[in-house]
Amino acid sequence: MVGGFSILLWIGAVLCWIAYGIQYSNNLSPSLDNVYLGVVLAVVVILTGVFAYYQEAKSTNIMASFSKMIPQQALVIRDSQKTTIPSEQLVVGDIVEIKGGDQIPADIRLLSTQGCKVDNSSLTGESEPQSRSCDFTHENPLETKNIAFYSTTCLEGTATGVVINTGDRTIIGQIASLASEVGNEKTPIAIEIEHFVRIVAGVAISIGFLFFIISVSMKYAVLDSIIFLISIIVANVPEGLLATVTVTLSLTAKRMAKKNCLVKNLEAVETLGSTSIICSDKTGTLTQNRMTVAHLWFDNQIFRADTSEAQSNQTFDQSSGTWASFSRIISLCNRAEFKPGQENVPIMKKTVIGDASETALLKFSEVISGDVMEIRKRNHKVAEIPFNSTNKFQVSIHETDDPGDKRFLLVMKGAPERILERCSTIMINGQEQPLDESTAEAFHTAYMELGGMGERVLGFCHLYLPADKFPETYSFDTDTMNFPTSSLCFVGLLSMIDPPRSTVPDAVTKCRSAGIKVIMVTGDHPITAKAIAKSVGIISANSETVEDIAKRLNVAVEQVNKRDARAAVVTGMELSGMSPGQLDEILANHSEIVFARTSPQQKLFIVEGCQRLGAVVAVTGDGVNDSPALKKADIGIAMGISGSDAAKNAADMVLLDDNFASIVTGVEEGRLIFDNLKKTIAYTLTKNIAELCPFLIYIIIGIPLPMGTITILFIDLGTDIIPSVALAYEKAESDIMNRKPRHKKKDRLVNAPLALYSYLHIGLMQAVGAFVVYFTVYAQAGFRPSRLIGLRVQWEKDDVNDLEDSYGQEWTRYQRQYLEWTGYTAFFAAITIQQIADVIIRKTRRNSVFQQGLFRNKVIWVGIASQIIIALILSYGLGSVTALSFTVLRAQYWFVVVPYAILIWVYDEIRKLFIRLYPGSWWDKNMYY
Amino acid sequence: MRRQLRSRRAPTLPHGYRFRLDDQDEMNQNYLADEEEEAEEEAQMVAMPNLEEEEKEEEQKEEEEVQDQPADNTWWQKLQLISEYLWDPEQRMSLARTGQSCSLILVIYFLFYASLAAVITVCMYTLFLAISPYLPTFTEREKPPGVMIRPFAQSLNFNFNVSEPDTWQHYVISLNGFLQGYNDSLQEEMNVDCPPGQYFIQDGEEEEDKKACQFKRSFLKNCSGLEDPTFGYSTGQPCILLKMNRIVGFRPELGDPVKVSCKVQRGDENDIRSISYYPESASFDLRYYPYYGKLTHVNYTSPLVAMHFTDVVKNQVVPVQCQLKGKGIINDVINDRFVGRVIFTLNIET
Repeated sequence: MVGGFSILLWIGAVLCWIAYGIQYSNNLSPSLDNVYLGVVLAVVVILTGVFAYYQEAKSTNIMASFSKMIPQQALVIRDSQKTTIPSEQLVVGDIVEIKGGDQIPADIRLLSTQGCKVDNSSLTGESEPQSRSCDFTHENPLETKNIAFYSTTCLEGTATGVVINTGDRTIIGQIASLASEVGNEKTPIAIEIEHFVRIVAGVAISIGFLFFIISVSMKYAVLDSIIFLISIIVANVPEGLLATVTVTLSLTAKRMAKKNCLVKNLEAVETLGSTSIICSDKTGTLTQNRMTVAHLWFDNQIFRADTSEAQSNQTFDQSSGTWASFSRIISLCNRAEFKPGQENVPIMKKTVIGDASETALLKFSEVISGDVMEIRKRNHKVAEIPFNSTNKFQVSIHETDDPGDKRFLLVMKGAPERILERCSTIMINGQEQPLDESTAEAFHTAYMELGGMGERVLGFCHLYLPADKFPETYSFDTDTMNFPTSSLCFVGLLSMIDPPRSTVPDAVTKCRSAGIKVIMVTGDHPITAKAIAKSVGIISANSETVEDIAKRLNVAVEQVNKRDARAAVVTGMELSGMSPGQLDEILANHSEIVFARTSPQQKLFIVEGCQRLGAVVAVTGDGVNDSPALKKADIGIAMGISGSDAAKNAADMVLLDDNFASIVTGVEEGRLIFDNLKKTIAYTLTKNIAELCPFLIYIIIGIPLPMGTITILFIDLGTDIIPSVALAYEKAESDIMNRKPRHKKKDRLVNAPLALYSYLHIGLMQAVGAFVVYFTVYAQAGFRPSRLIGLRVQWEKDDVNDLEDSYGQEWTRYQRQYLEWTGYTAFFAAITIQQIADVIIRKTRRNSVFQQGLFRNKVIWVGIASQIIIALILSYGLGSVTALSFTVLRAQYWFVVVPYAILIWVYDEIRKLFIRLYPGSWWDKNMYY
Repeated sequence: MRRQLRSRRAPTLPHGYRFRLDDQDEMNQNYLADEEEEAEEEAQMVAMPNLEEEEKEEEQKEEEEVQDQPADNTWWQKLQLISEYLWDPEQRMSLARTGQSCSLILVIYFLFYASLAAVITVCMYTLFLAISPYLPTFTEREKPPGVMIRPFAQSLNFNFNVSEPDTWQHYVISLNGFLQGYNDSLQEEMNVDCPPGQYFIQDGEEEEDKKACQFKRSFLKNCSGLEDPTFGYSTGQPCILLKMNRIVGFRPELGDPVKVSCKVQRGDENDIRSISYYPESASFDLRYYPYYGKLTHVNYTSPLVAMHFTDVVKNQVVPVQCQLKGKGIINDVINDRFVGRVIFTLNIET
């Protein structure tokens, strides 16, 4: 409600009241016109302000509904009694108890634990559960095992601890306050609008004061000059525009919300469009965030598995005898289980109890072999050793489902080289063969190939225990391992990866062609990160890193010219030793960058580096630790599913499906809205000249006022509103994803060609057309133009009631006043009709309107209809309300200006034709906005 | 340290693989199997808490930098930028344009405005060809006719002191001036004496000159200024002339000429005890209608009705309302107090 146009309008309103005050002190009964005008202006400012606020609030509300904060409870021991209290009432020194599933209510030091594991991903970005104990293991509080942090979750086990920090003093709280310290940068669109407001305000004020001086030196009373000043300001300020921009942005925000981009801050809609660098997370954003079986190796052959979201299409050869054994091991040597009661859920969507790899294997075998639970039931498990990090394998022993075979089956999976060590034979085509040098070599090649793809590899083997040594009644003891765990039969390798989402490669290609650099920032291992980057196209197929070049040329890394490498994989370790200058160099020299093993905090460093290069940076993030980076970024994108509340709060946008492809559709919308805002502004600015000229001509040659201030407001806030919003629905003229992101400093929203073309070309044509109508109305009523010039003083005298017109007729003051209002109405009608032509030509900036399709955007026609209907209502419905200064206009006056409207259309088509014919020419540079 | 790590990792040999593969097969257990990895991780962790401090330091640095820059420096730079924009000597550019581009713009704009001017001239010209200069296209705006009085001196309040000629002399001068056109000699010379009581209709082409009916100053008798050159102001019996606004083609109802009647607007009716009207009928004779417009009806003289306020209460403000009466005359429009009526005040001091 302050700033920009509002200030100008406030000035106008105050000037109105001052003018009234001066009139009042000079004359006891001044007309209240000025007071009304002042009030109307104030109301306009307040209404647009309230409207903008309402729109903002609406989108904030969507957010609010998102984070339904459930008051957190903590189980605390006070006065040797366990009580549940809201966690904000905790104080340092309280003893709290935690069990699996709880959120940690404060930073606590653990006193006793039982198999306690916490998920610190929101804090450190590590996705693996961390075990907690009461041992002090490290100086660094983030590192030591005996501290659990506020807002992280306890996954399993129980623990008791003493509160050491609460609220803002917790680690999370400190990060949150760091986030709030990172200043809120102005969004690009806010800068653009400010720039635009400055232009318009500059024009308004300079013209206003120029004519103030002119009118004073032309011996007008100072009071009159002030009123002229007000009118010029009102004519110059597009009152409705800011509301229009807000509506336009919120319409786009709605459209984006449908495409899973929930925009918190309306202005961020456009920011996304001008983004030139996207720093994206890997897990969940680029990938599906679940381990999936990607490759299998058996019978000396690597097979590809389907890694798409549905996994419905497993095409590898399943006829081999080895596969039968292999699939049995996969099914049996697995502790993961489906949660009961999900019979109708597609396999891929079923919830599983078990860790990520086991889940992947379970789903994989469920898809291929059918009901795994049934298979396990038929092959009853008699003993099992779960996976642990010392053994690095998992073993289970089963009865077989073949009733004739009394042997037990031992199945094992684990780290491939550990498994291989325990094997003496290998199964090829269903036949056991001795494991010789060449097969071991084949194993290593396959292992390395799979590992090189960044995949997690598991080896599988089995052994039929001889029935004589292990009769049916044999009791297996897992502690003493009274069964063989060597000389097994190796069956195959299986590798898993968190595969990229199927829509991502396309989206990355789109970003490429749109000139947006996609940088991957992940906590994952560089090899995995690079593999995923390659598979989604962040690192394109033929580009190499410095290391790749070194390897190819067989020289040391130092000898490679860094500029030869398009791609770069930078680890967090390297990053932490870098100066900002070094980072800038990497960001500037490599077009394809992957940051691996980075901590969420380093994201901030990377974002700042990108911003130093002048880029508009979009950053995705989910953890609490990401929030400073999200805030620092020009547009922070939080993950809707995996994101923490802190991240969502710090972000400008929430990605509802966590999918990178949604960002790209958002970019498209953002770019479109920038183009369409240009059109809207061009449309709105045009009529300003037509509104301004009446005053200028009135002051200079002294004709009766062609159009009143109130009438201007009716155009700005009445007829023009819906068409200018309708321009937001315009489709893109060409593929907007094929051009570079706009340059922050060079590609302005309102540039010189736009202002000049709107003001000095179309605007002047409109003014001319409107004046023709004005003169027609006056001439037909009796005042020919020659009589009008210099008539102003006589015309406005209340006591002159026999003013002679061109035909010798005499007019009373009120009759003249009525004619003046008719003139207002005619001028208004003329501008309205020409604005119809204007909205049509503004549909496109380069293409012909006919190429764009005259009727493709239906909303434009709704806008045009609204324009006509509002104008008709004002003239014929409210024509008798004197305060509005509209009159019932003769029907023919609506059509006088139609040729001019057509002329505007034709002129603009010619302009566009030349732009298309001579791209890059002088004409293109000066006439294309 | 960093270099070392890098070079050690760079060749992707089985060696290097060991490390990676090792932590891949951990199956969601602790990642920190390998010493090197652990070291790396550690470094990260240590880096984390420091970040905040680093940031603050950076901020401080920035602040210092900002403070170091003197304020006028930026102003000076801005000024330089602007002057460079206005005239850039290196590239011979003004307003960021070269001379050629500039002149091209001037030419284009000149052409554009010239053709726009041509278009508007043609339009206005045809418009005025289409509009008759003799008769206005529409006249309903100024109907019903308005009323005005003479003398008129920027105000409708007549305040004067009979014994002080200075206070009323300007009324006399104004009336004399106004009535110059009504001098009998002039009227007889220019205009025809047409029969009273009927319209003076002159058929024929609209561009033909029309004759006008005489309205002699002597019709106004005591208010003509011929017998009493002070129009009664010197005796406190002021004459006020009432004139109906001219409207092309306006005709009062046949046989019912428009009459004038005045009375006290508000207050005691007896404040005005008598008014004499000249001509005595107190009406506008039908022969002065219709009016054919300034261009052809050159010598048309508007008929007048003089009101001679012969007996008005002195030394007080008397609001007077004079109304037109007749068929087709409206005299009670709320918004317009001069349609069919005129209100003025008399304050005659003795």
